[in-house]
Amino acid sequence: MMKFLTQLGRYVLLLKKVFSKPEKPSLYFKQTMSEFVNLGLNSIGIIAIISFFMGAVITLQTAYNTENPIYPKYLIGLGCRDSMILEFSSTIAALILAGKVGSNIAAEIGTMRVTEQIDALEIMGVNSASYLILPKIIATLIFNPILTLIAIIVGIFGGGIAGTLAGVITTENFIYGIQYAFIPYYIVYSLIKTVFFAFIITSVSAYQGYYVDGGSLEVGRASTKAVVYSSVLILLFNVILTQLLLS
Amino acid sequence: MIQVKNLNKSFNGKAVLDNISIKFETGKTNLIIGRSGSGKTVLLKSIVGLHEIDSGEIWYENTLFNKLDFAGKKVIRSEMGMLFQGSALFDSLTVEQNVRFPLDMFTDSPADEKIDRVNFCLKRVDIINANNLYPSELSGGMKKRVAIARAIALNPKYLFCDEPNSGLDPITAILIDALIKELTEEYSMTTIVNTHDMNSVMEIGEKVVFISEGIKCWEGSKNDILNSDCELLNDFIFANSLAKKLRSQAKT
Repeated sequence: MMKFLTQLGRYVLLLKKVFSKPEKPSLYFKQTMSEFVNLGLNSIGIIAIISFFMGAVITLQTAYNTENPIYPKYLIGLGCRDSMILEFSSTIAALILAGKVGSNIAAEIGTMRVTEQIDALEIMGVNSASYLILPKIIATLIFNPILTLIAIIVGIFGGGIAGTLAGVITTENFIYGIQYAFIPYYIVYSLIKTVFFAFIITSVSAYQGYYVDGGSLEVGRASTKAVVYSSVLILLFNVILTQLLLS
Repeated sequence: MIQVKNLNKSFNGKAVLDNISIKFETGKTNLIIGRSGSGKTVLLKSIVGLHEIDSGEIWYENTLFNKLDFAGKKVIRSEMGMLFQGSALFDSLTVEQNVRFPLDMFTDSPADEKIDRVNFCLKRVDIINANNLYPSELSGGMKKRVAIARAIALNPKYLFCDEPNSGLDPITAILIDALIKELTEEYSMTTIVNTHDMNSVMEIGEKVVFISEGIKCWEGSKNDILNSDCELLNDFIFANSLAKKLRSQAKT
Protein backbone atom coordinates (compact mmCIF):
# COMPACT_ATOMS: atom_id res chain seq x y z
CA MET A 1 0.00 0.00 0.00
CA MET A 2 2.83 2.40 0.92
CA LYS A 3 4.55 1.60 -2.38
CA PHE A 4 1.37 2.37 -4.29
CA LEU A 5 0.92 5.70 -2.48
CA THR A 6 4.56 6.61 -3.09
CA GLN A 7 4.18 5.87 -6.81
CA LEU A 8 0.93 7.84 -6.94
CA GLY A 9 2.59 10.78 -5.21
CA ARG A 10 5.50 10.73 -7.65
CA TYR A 11 3.06 10.54 -10.56
CA VAL A 12 1.16 13.60 -9.30
CA LEU A 13 4.41 15.53 -8.74
CA LEU A 14 5.56 14.64 -12.24
CA LEU A 15 2.27 15.93 -13.68
CA LYS A 16 2.74 19.16 -11.73
CA LYS A 17 6.14 19.59 -13.39
CA VAL A 18 4.69 18.67 -16.78
CA PHE A 19 1.95 21.30 -16.61
CA SER A 20 4.18 24.16 -15.49
CA LYS A 21 4.76 27.15 -17.77
CA PRO A 22 6.84 26.23 -20.86
CA GLU A 23 10.26 27.91 -21.17
CA LYS A 24 9.92 28.67 -24.86
CA PRO A 25 6.41 28.10 -26.28
CA SER A 26 7.65 28.16 -29.90
CA LEU A 27 9.95 25.16 -29.24
CA TYR A 28 7.14 23.30 -27.48
CA PHE A 29 4.87 23.95 -30.47
CA LYS A 30 7.49 22.52 -32.82
CA GLN A 31 7.90 19.51 -30.56
CA THR A 32 4.10 19.02 -30.43
CA MET A 33 3.92 19.04 -34.25
CA SER A 34 6.60 16.37 -34.36
CA GLU A 35 4.64 14.26 -31.82
CA PHE A 36 1.51 14.54 -33.99
CA VAL A 37 3.47 12.65 -36.61
CA ASN A 38 5.17 10.17 -34.26
CA LEU A 39 2.22 9.29 -32.07
CA GLY A 40 -0.76 10.21 -34.27
CA LEU A 41 -0.19 9.94 -38.00
CA ASN A 42 2.01 6.87 -37.60
CA SER A 43 -0.84 5.09 -35.77
CA ILE A 44 -3.44 5.56 -38.50
CA GLY A 45 -2.31 2.45 -40.41
CA ILE A 46 -2.59 -0.03 -37.55
CA ILE A 47 -5.87 1.46 -36.31
CA ALA A 48 -7.38 1.32 -39.82
CA ILE A 49 -6.30 -2.28 -40.45
CA ILE A 50 -7.51 -3.59 -37.08
CA SER A 51 -10.77 -1.63 -37.28
CA PHE A 52 -11.54 -2.96 -40.74
CA PHE A 53 -11.14 -6.57 -39.67
CA MET A 54 -12.88 -6.10 -36.32
CA GLY A 55 -15.87 -4.55 -38.13
CA ALA A 56 -15.86 -7.50 -40.51
CA VAL A 57 -15.76 -10.07 -37.70
CA ILE A 58 -18.45 -8.30 -35.64
CA THR A 59 -20.75 -8.29 -38.69
CA LEU A 60 -20.20 -11.97 -39.47
CA GLN A 61 -20.59 -13.07 -35.83
CA THR A 62 -23.77 -11.02 -35.43
CA ALA A 63 -25.11 -12.52 -38.66
CA TYR A 64 -24.42 -16.12 -37.61
CA ASN A 65 -25.98 -15.54 -34.17
CA THR A 66 -29.14 -13.93 -35.53
CA GLU A 67 -30.11 -16.46 -38.19
CA ASN A 68 -33.59 -16.80 -36.68
CA PRO A 69 -36.05 -15.18 -39.14
CA ILE A 70 -37.73 -13.17 -36.35
CA TYR A 71 -34.66 -10.95 -36.21
CA PRO A 72 -34.66 -8.36 -38.98
CA LYS A 73 -31.50 -8.44 -41.10
CA TYR A 74 -30.76 -4.75 -40.56
CA LEU A 75 -29.92 -5.60 -36.91
CA ILE A 76 -26.58 -6.88 -38.22
CA GLY A 77 -25.67 -3.36 -39.41
CA LEU A 78 -26.99 -1.84 -36.21
CA GLY A 79 -24.93 -4.28 -34.11
CA CYS A 80 -21.80 -3.51 -36.06
CA ARG A 81 -22.35 0.25 -35.76
CA ASP A 82 -23.02 0.26 -32.01
CA SER A 83 -20.16 -2.15 -31.23
CA MET A 84 -17.74 0.00 -33.18
CA ILE A 85 -18.94 3.28 -31.68
CA LEU A 86 -19.50 2.24 -28.09
CA GLU A 87 -16.61 -0.09 -27.42
CA PHE A 88 -14.18 -0.83 -30.20
CA SER A 89 -13.25 2.63 -31.44
CA SER A 90 -12.52 3.95 -27.97
CA THR A 91 -11.62 1.10 -25.60
CA ILE A 92 -10.16 -1.60 -27.84
CA ALA A 93 -8.36 0.99 -29.97
CA ALA A 94 -6.98 2.53 -26.76
CA LEU A 95 -5.67 -0.88 -25.67
CA ILE A 96 -3.97 -1.25 -29.04
CA LEU A 97 -2.50 2.25 -28.74
CA ALA A 98 -1.32 1.47 -25.21
CA GLY A 99 0.76 -1.29 -26.79
CA LYS A 100 2.07 0.76 -29.68
CA VAL A 101 2.29 4.35 -28.42
CA GLY A 102 2.70 3.56 -24.69
CA SER A 103 5.68 1.27 -25.15
CA ASN A 104 7.20 3.75 -27.60
CA ILE A 105 6.92 6.64 -25.12
CA ALA A 106 8.29 4.64 -22.18
CA ALA A 107 11.20 3.28 -24.22
CA GLU A 108 12.07 6.69 -25.71
CA ILE A 109 12.01 8.60 -22.42
CA GLY A 110 13.59 5.69 -20.52
CA THR A 111 16.49 5.54 -22.97
CA MET A 112 16.95 9.30 -22.63
CA ARG A 113 17.11 8.81 -18.87
CA VAL A 114 19.71 6.03 -18.86
CA THR A 115 21.88 7.78 -21.47
CA GLU A 116 21.82 10.97 -19.35
CA GLN A 117 20.04 13.01 -22.04
CA ILE A 118 17.44 14.05 -19.44
CA ASP A 119 20.25 15.10 -17.08
CA ALA A 120 21.71 17.15 -19.95
CA LEU A 121 18.37 18.96 -20.32
CA GLU A 122 18.18 19.60 -16.58
CA ILE A 123 21.75 20.97 -16.50
CA MET A 124 20.79 23.45 -19.22
CA GLY A 125 17.96 24.64 -16.96
CA VAL A 126 15.22 23.06 -19.08
CA ASN A 127 12.18 21.59 -17.32
CA SER A 128 12.78 18.15 -18.84
CA ALA A 129 9.44 16.69 -17.72
CA SER A 130 7.49 19.45 -19.36
CA TYR A 131 9.62 19.60 -22.51
CA LEU A 132 9.48 15.85 -23.11
CA ILE A 133 6.01 14.92 -21.89
CA LEU A 134 3.68 17.91 -22.43
CA PRO A 135 3.92 17.85 -26.26
CA LYS A 136 3.14 14.12 -26.23
CA ILE A 137 0.07 14.63 -24.03
CA ILE A 138 -1.23 17.50 -26.17
CA ALA A 139 -0.62 15.54 -29.39
CA THR A 140 -2.46 12.44 -28.19
CA LEU A 141 -5.33 14.39 -26.60
CA ILE A 142 -5.96 16.08 -29.95
CA PHE A 143 -5.13 13.24 -32.32
CA ASN A 144 -6.61 10.18 -30.58
CA PRO A 145 -10.21 11.40 -31.06
CA ILE A 146 -9.40 11.62 -34.78
CA LEU A 147 -8.14 8.02 -34.63
CA THR A 148 -11.41 7.06 -32.92
CA LEU A 149 -13.45 8.59 -35.73
CA ILE A 150 -11.28 6.81 -38.28
CA ALA A 151 -11.78 3.52 -36.39
CA ILE A 152 -15.57 3.98 -36.42
CA ILE A 153 -15.74 4.78 -40.13
CA VAL A 154 -13.30 2.09 -41.28
CA GLY A 155 -14.81 -0.53 -38.92
CA ILE A 156 -18.35 0.00 -40.18
CA PHE A 157 -17.05 0.02 -43.75
CA GLY A 158 -15.23 -3.28 -43.08
CA GLY A 159 -18.43 -4.72 -41.63
CA GLY A 160 -20.40 -3.70 -44.71
CA ILE A 161 -17.85 -5.18 -47.09
CA ALA A 162 -17.55 -8.48 -45.18
CA GLY A 163 -21.32 -8.85 -44.74
CA THR A 164 -21.98 -8.24 -48.42
CA LEU A 165 -19.15 -10.46 -49.68
CA ALA A 166 -20.17 -13.31 -47.34
CA GLY A 167 -23.77 -12.92 -48.51
CA VAL A 168 -25.16 -12.61 -44.97
CA ILE A 169 -26.73 -9.19 -45.57
CA THR A 170 -27.51 -6.95 -48.51
CA THR A 171 -25.87 -3.54 -48.81
CA GLU A 172 -29.28 -1.85 -48.51
CA ASN A 173 -30.10 -3.71 -45.28
CA PHE A 174 -26.69 -2.93 -43.82
CA ILE A 175 -26.97 0.78 -44.62
CA TYR A 176 -30.50 0.83 -43.19
CA GLY A 177 -29.15 -0.88 -40.05
CA ILE A 178 -26.35 1.60 -39.48
CA GLN A 179 -28.85 4.48 -39.78
CA TYR A 180 -31.54 2.86 -37.66
CA ALA A 181 -32.17 4.36 -34.17
CA PHE A 182 -28.88 6.24 -34.29
CA ILE A 183 -28.06 8.10 -31.07
CA PRO A 184 -25.48 10.85 -31.78
CA TYR A 185 -24.57 11.04 -28.08
CA TYR A 186 -22.85 7.66 -28.44
CA ILE A 187 -20.19 9.38 -30.56
CA VAL A 188 -19.70 12.03 -27.87
CA TYR A 189 -19.48 9.27 -25.24
CA SER A 190 -16.85 7.49 -27.30
CA LEU A 191 -14.81 10.66 -27.84
CA ILE A 192 -14.91 11.57 -24.13
CA LYS A 193 -13.61 8.10 -23.26
CA THR A 194 -10.89 8.45 -25.90
CA VAL A 195 -9.63 11.71 -24.40
CA PHE A 196 -9.39 10.10 -20.93
CA PHE A 197 -7.67 7.03 -22.34
CA ALA A 198 -5.21 9.15 -24.33
CA PHE A 199 -4.21 10.96 -21.16
CA ILE A 200 -3.79 7.66 -19.29
CA ILE A 201 -1.65 6.09 -22.03
CA THR A 202 0.67 9.08 -22.41
CA SER A 203 1.07 10.13 -18.80
CA VAL A 204 1.43 6.61 -17.35
CA SER A 205 3.91 5.55 -20.03
CA ALA A 206 5.91 8.78 -19.70
CA TYR A 207 5.99 8.30 -15.92
CA GLN A 208 7.37 4.77 -16.31
CA GLY A 209 10.07 5.99 -18.70
CA TYR A 210 10.97 9.14 -16.79
CA TYR A 211 11.82 7.32 -13.57
CA VAL A 212 13.81 4.44 -15.08
CA ASP A 213 16.88 3.68 -13.03
CA GLY A 214 19.50 1.35 -14.48
CA GLY A 215 20.16 0.20 -18.02
CA SER A 216 18.56 -1.38 -21.05
CA LEU A 217 16.95 -4.16 -19.00
CA GLU A 218 15.12 -1.59 -16.88
CA VAL A 219 14.04 0.32 -20.00
CA GLY A 220 12.48 -2.92 -21.30
CA ARG A 221 10.74 -3.47 -17.97
CA ALA A 222 9.45 0.10 -17.93
CA SER A 223 8.08 -0.38 -21.41
CA THR A 224 6.22 -3.53 -20.34
CA LYS A 225 4.92 -1.85 -17.18
CA ALA A 226 3.72 1.11 -19.26
CA VAL A 227 1.57 -1.19 -21.41
CA VAL A 228 0.26 -3.27 -18.51
CA TYR A 229 -0.61 -0.37 -16.18
CA SER A 230 -2.11 1.72 -18.99
CA SER A 231 -4.26 -1.21 -20.10
CA VAL A 232 -5.53 -1.95 -16.59
CA LEU A 233 -6.33 1.73 -16.00
CA ILE A 234 -8.11 1.97 -19.35
CA LEU A 235 -10.33 -0.99 -18.43
CA LEU A 236 -11.02 0.46 -14.98
CA PHE A 237 -11.88 3.92 -16.31
CA ASN A 238 -13.98 2.34 -19.04
CA VAL A 239 -16.32 1.00 -16.37
CA ILE A 240 -16.34 4.25 -14.37
CA LEU A 241 -16.91 6.49 -17.42
CA THR A 242 -19.60 4.21 -18.84
CA GLN A 243 -21.49 4.35 -15.56
CA LEU A 244 -21.10 8.14 -15.37
CA LEU A 245 -21.90 8.94 -19.01
CA LEU A 246 -24.58 6.39 -19.89
CA SER A 247 -26.48 5.94 -16.65
CA MET B 1 34.60 29.84 -7.85
CA ILE B 2 32.62 26.90 -6.55
CA GLN B 3 32.83 25.90 -2.93
CA VAL B 4 31.52 22.73 -1.33
CA LYS B 5 31.17 22.71 2.46
CA ASN B 6 30.55 19.65 4.63
CA LEU B 7 28.61 17.85 1.92
CA ASN B 8 26.92 14.58 2.87
CA LYS B 9 24.97 12.32 0.58
CA SER B 10 23.57 8.84 1.09
CA PHE B 11 21.45 6.41 -0.88
CA ASN B 12 19.03 4.16 1.04
CA GLY B 13 20.85 4.87 4.29
CA LYS B 14 24.29 4.08 2.84
CA ALA B 15 26.67 7.06 3.00
CA VAL B 16 28.22 7.76 -0.41
CA LEU B 17 29.78 11.15 0.36
CA ASP B 18 30.99 11.89 3.86
CA ASN B 19 31.60 15.47 4.95
CA ILE B 20 33.29 16.67 1.77
CA SER B 21 34.68 20.23 1.67
CA ILE B 22 36.49 21.51 -1.43
CA LYS B 23 37.15 24.86 -3.08
CA PHE B 24 37.24 24.77 -6.91
CA GLU B 25 39.12 27.71 -8.34
CA THR B 26 38.20 29.96 -11.28
CA GLY B 27 40.27 29.69 -14.47
CA LYS B 28 41.70 26.36 -13.36
CA THR B 29 41.09 22.77 -14.32
CA ASN B 30 40.04 21.11 -11.06
CA LEU B 31 40.18 17.33 -11.07
CA ILE B 32 38.31 14.90 -8.85
CA ILE B 33 40.05 11.54 -8.97
CA GLY B 34 39.39 8.20 -7.34
CA ARG B 35 38.56 4.58 -8.01
CA SER B 36 35.34 3.50 -9.69
CA GLY B 37 32.55 3.66 -7.10
CA SER B 38 34.44 6.11 -4.88
CA GLY B 39 31.68 8.72 -5.19
CA LYS B 40 33.15 11.03 -7.87
CA THR B 41 30.09 11.07 -10.11
CA VAL B 42 27.72 11.47 -7.16
CA LEU B 43 29.82 14.43 -5.99
CA LEU B 44 29.78 16.05 -9.44
CA LYS B 45 26.04 15.46 -9.85
CA SER B 46 25.44 16.87 -6.36
CA ILE B 47 27.43 19.98 -7.24
CA VAL B 48 25.35 20.61 -10.36
CA GLY B 49 22.11 19.84 -8.50
CA LEU B 50 21.15 16.59 -10.21
CA HIS B 51 21.24 14.89 -6.79
CA GLU B 52 19.60 16.42 -3.72
CA ILE B 53 22.20 16.45 -0.93
CA ASP B 54 21.45 15.32 2.64
CA SER B 55 23.34 18.18 4.28
CA GLY B 56 26.07 20.70 3.55
CA GLU B 57 26.42 23.74 1.32
CA ILE B 58 27.25 24.29 -2.34
CA TRP B 59 28.28 27.85 -3.19
CA TYR B 60 28.55 29.33 -6.67
CA GLU B 61 30.44 32.57 -6.02
CA ASN B 62 28.22 34.17 -3.35
CA THR B 63 25.07 32.16 -4.05
CA LEU B 64 24.07 29.18 -1.93
CA PHE B 65 23.00 26.92 -4.81
CA ASN B 66 21.49 23.99 -2.92
CA LYS B 67 18.91 26.19 -1.16
CA LEU B 68 17.62 27.77 -4.38
CA ASP B 69 14.26 26.85 -5.90
CA PHE B 70 13.91 25.62 -9.51
CA ALA B 71 13.79 29.18 -10.90
CA GLY B 72 16.86 30.24 -8.89
CA LYS B 73 18.82 27.17 -9.94
CA LYS B 74 17.81 27.83 -13.54
CA VAL B 75 19.70 31.16 -13.46
CA ILE B 76 22.90 29.46 -12.27
CA ARG B 77 22.37 26.57 -14.66
CA SER B 78 22.25 28.96 -17.60
CA GLU B 79 25.93 29.54 -16.77
CA MET B 80 26.81 25.83 -16.65
CA GLY B 81 27.98 23.48 -19.34
CA MET B 82 28.41 19.78 -18.80
CA LEU B 83 30.12 16.98 -20.66
CA PHE B 84 28.62 13.64 -19.68
CA GLN B 85 30.40 10.29 -19.62
CA GLY B 86 28.37 8.99 -22.57
CA SER B 87 28.24 12.46 -24.21
CA ALA B 88 24.41 12.60 -23.77
CA LEU B 89 23.81 14.08 -27.21
CA PHE B 90 20.15 14.10 -28.22
CA ASP B 91 19.74 11.09 -30.53
CA SER B 92 16.93 12.59 -32.56
CA LEU B 93 18.83 15.80 -33.38
CA THR B 94 21.71 16.38 -35.78
CA VAL B 95 25.09 17.72 -34.64
CA GLU B 96 24.03 21.26 -35.59
CA GLN B 97 20.66 20.95 -33.82
CA ASN B 98 22.35 19.56 -30.71
CA VAL B 99 24.72 22.53 -30.42
CA ARG B 100 21.95 24.94 -31.36
CA PHE B 101 19.52 23.54 -28.76
CA PRO B 102 20.60 25.75 -25.80
CA LEU B 103 20.66 28.79 -28.11
CA ASP B 104 17.11 28.07 -29.29
CA MET B 105 15.93 27.47 -25.75
CA PHE B 106 17.51 30.44 -24.00
CA THR B 107 18.24 33.16 -26.54
CA ASP B 108 16.18 35.23 -28.93
CA SER B 109 19.01 35.77 -31.41
CA PRO B 110 18.21 35.69 -35.13
CA ALA B 111 18.64 32.33 -36.86
CA ASP B 112 21.77 33.35 -38.80
CA GLU B 113 23.49 34.49 -35.60
CA LYS B 114 22.71 31.15 -33.99
CA ILE B 115 24.12 29.29 -36.99
CA ASP B 116 27.28 31.41 -36.82
CA ARG B 117 27.65 30.59 -33.13
CA VAL B 118 27.07 26.87 -33.77
CA ASN B 119 29.69 26.86 -36.53
CA PHE B 120 32.12 28.77 -34.32
CA CYS B 121 31.72 26.29 -31.46
CA LEU B 122 32.03 23.29 -33.76
CA LYS B 123 35.14 24.76 -35.40
CA ARG B 124 36.58 25.46 -31.95
CA VAL B 125 36.40 21.75 -31.14
CA ASP B 126 37.65 20.75 -34.61
CA ILE B 127 34.39 19.36 -35.92
CA ILE B 128 34.06 20.34 -39.54
CA ASN B 129 31.51 19.28 -42.19
CA ALA B 130 29.52 17.22 -39.71
CA ASN B 131 26.59 19.59 -39.10
CA ASN B 132 24.02 17.26 -40.60
CA LEU B 133 25.23 14.02 -39.07
CA TYR B 134 23.33 12.30 -36.26
CA PRO B 135 25.09 11.20 -33.04
CA SER B 136 24.82 7.55 -34.11
CA GLU B 137 27.03 8.39 -37.11
CA LEU B 138 29.86 9.86 -34.99
CA SER B 139 32.89 8.21 -33.37
CA GLY B 140 33.34 8.32 -29.58
CA GLY B 141 35.86 11.17 -29.80
CA MET B 142 33.63 13.20 -32.13
CA LYS B 143 30.67 12.76 -29.80
CA LYS B 144 32.72 14.15 -26.92
CA ARG B 145 33.78 17.13 -29.04
CA VAL B 146 30.22 17.87 -30.11
CA ALA B 147 29.14 17.60 -26.46
CA ILE B 148 31.86 20.11 -25.53
CA ALA B 149 30.68 22.41 -28.35
CA ARG B 150 27.13 22.21 -26.96
CA ALA B 151 28.42 22.85 -23.44
CA ILE B 152 30.22 26.06 -24.48
CA ALA B 153 27.49 27.35 -26.81
CA LEU B 154 26.17 29.78 -24.19
CA ASN B 155 29.63 30.88 -22.93
CA PRO B 156 29.35 29.14 -19.57
CA LYS B 157 31.15 30.25 -16.41
CA TYR B 158 31.29 26.68 -15.12
CA LEU B 159 32.23 23.54 -17.04
CA PHE B 160 31.72 20.06 -15.63
CA CYS B 161 33.17 16.96 -17.25
CA ASP B 162 32.30 13.46 -16.08
CA GLU B 163 34.95 10.99 -17.21
CA PRO B 164 35.66 12.85 -20.47
CA ASN B 165 38.17 10.21 -21.59
CA SER B 166 36.19 7.07 -20.93
CA GLY B 167 36.14 4.82 -23.96
CA LEU B 168 38.68 6.87 -25.91
CA ASP B 169 42.09 5.83 -27.19
CA PRO B 170 45.09 7.48 -25.43
CA ILE B 171 45.80 9.97 -28.23
CA THR B 172 42.19 11.15 -28.54
CA ALA B 173 42.01 11.30 -24.74
CA ILE B 174 45.00 13.66 -24.64
CA LEU B 175 43.40 15.85 -27.32
CA ILE B 176 40.16 16.07 -25.35
CA ASP B 177 42.11 16.93 -22.17
CA ALA B 178 44.03 19.63 -24.00
CA LEU B 179 40.80 21.05 -25.40
CA ILE B 180 39.22 21.22 -21.94
CA LYS B 181 42.28 22.99 -20.55
CA GLU B 182 42.44 25.46 -23.44
CA LEU B 183 38.75 26.31 -23.16
CA THR B 184 39.05 26.74 -19.40
CA GLU B 185 41.83 29.28 -19.83
CA GLU B 186 40.26 30.96 -22.87
CA TYR B 187 36.87 31.58 -21.20
CA SER B 188 38.24 31.77 -17.65
CA MET B 189 35.80 29.09 -16.52
CA THR B 190 35.72 27.11 -13.32
CA THR B 191 36.16 23.60 -14.66
CA ILE B 192 35.65 20.42 -12.68
CA VAL B 193 36.69 17.13 -14.25
CA ASN B 194 35.95 13.68 -12.87
CA THR B 195 38.49 11.13 -13.94
CA HIS B 196 40.47 8.07 -12.98
CA ASP B 197 42.85 8.52 -15.89
CA MET B 198 46.34 9.33 -14.57
CA ASN B 199 47.37 10.77 -17.94
CA SER B 200 44.69 13.43 -17.49
CA VAL B 201 45.92 14.15 -14.00
CA MET B 202 49.46 14.73 -15.20
CA GLU B 203 48.36 16.71 -18.28
CA ILE B 204 45.74 19.09 -16.90
CA GLY B 205 45.54 18.63 -13.12
CA GLU B 206 46.07 22.15 -11.83
CA LYS B 207 44.15 21.24 -8.72
CA VAL B 208 43.53 17.60 -7.82
CA VAL B 209 41.24 16.16 -5.17
CA PHE B 210 41.44 12.45 -4.36
CA ILE B 211 38.33 10.72 -3.05
CA SER B 212 38.14 7.24 -1.62
CA GLU B 213 34.91 5.60 -0.41
CA GLY B 214 33.16 8.97 -0.25
CA ILE B 215 35.85 10.65 1.84
CA LYS B 216 38.23 13.36 0.63
CA CYS B 217 41.68 11.91 1.32
CA TRP B 218 44.05 14.28 -0.42
CA GLU B 219 44.17 17.65 -2.18
CA GLY B 220 47.01 19.28 -4.12
CA SER B 221 48.38 19.86 -7.61
CA LYS B 222 49.77 17.47 -10.23
CA ASN B 223 53.27 18.47 -9.10
CA ASP B 224 52.59 17.37 -5.51
CA ILE B 225 50.86 14.13 -6.34
CA LEU B 226 53.93 11.95 -6.93
CA ASN B 227 55.42 12.94 -3.59
CA SER B 228 52.28 12.41 -1.55
CA ASP B 229 52.46 10.31 1.60
CA CYS B 230 48.77 9.38 1.35
CA GLU B 231 48.80 5.58 1.17
CA LEU B 232 45.44 5.30 -0.58
CA LEU B 233 46.49 7.85 -3.19
CA ASN B 234 49.77 6.07 -3.82
CA ASP B 235 47.95 2.74 -4.21
CA PHE B 236 45.69 4.44 -6.76
CA ILE B 237 48.43 6.18 -8.72
CA PHE B 238 50.84 3.28 -8.77
CA ALA B 239 48.20 0.62 -9.39
CA ASN B 240 49.62 -0.77 -12.65
CA SER B 241 52.81 -2.80 -12.80
CA LEU B 242 54.67 -0.29 -15.01
CA ALA B 243 54.06 2.52 -12.53
CA LYS B 244 55.09 0.27 -9.63
CA LYS B 245 58.32 -0.66 -11.42
CA LEU B 246 59.15 2.98 -12.22
CA ARG B 247 58.49 3.95 -8.63
CA SER B 248 60.71 1.26 -7.18
CA GLN B 249 63.47 2.20 -9.64
CA ALA B 250 63.15 5.86 -8.62
CA LYS B 251 63.47 4.90 -4.96
CA THR B 252 66.64 2.86 -5.55
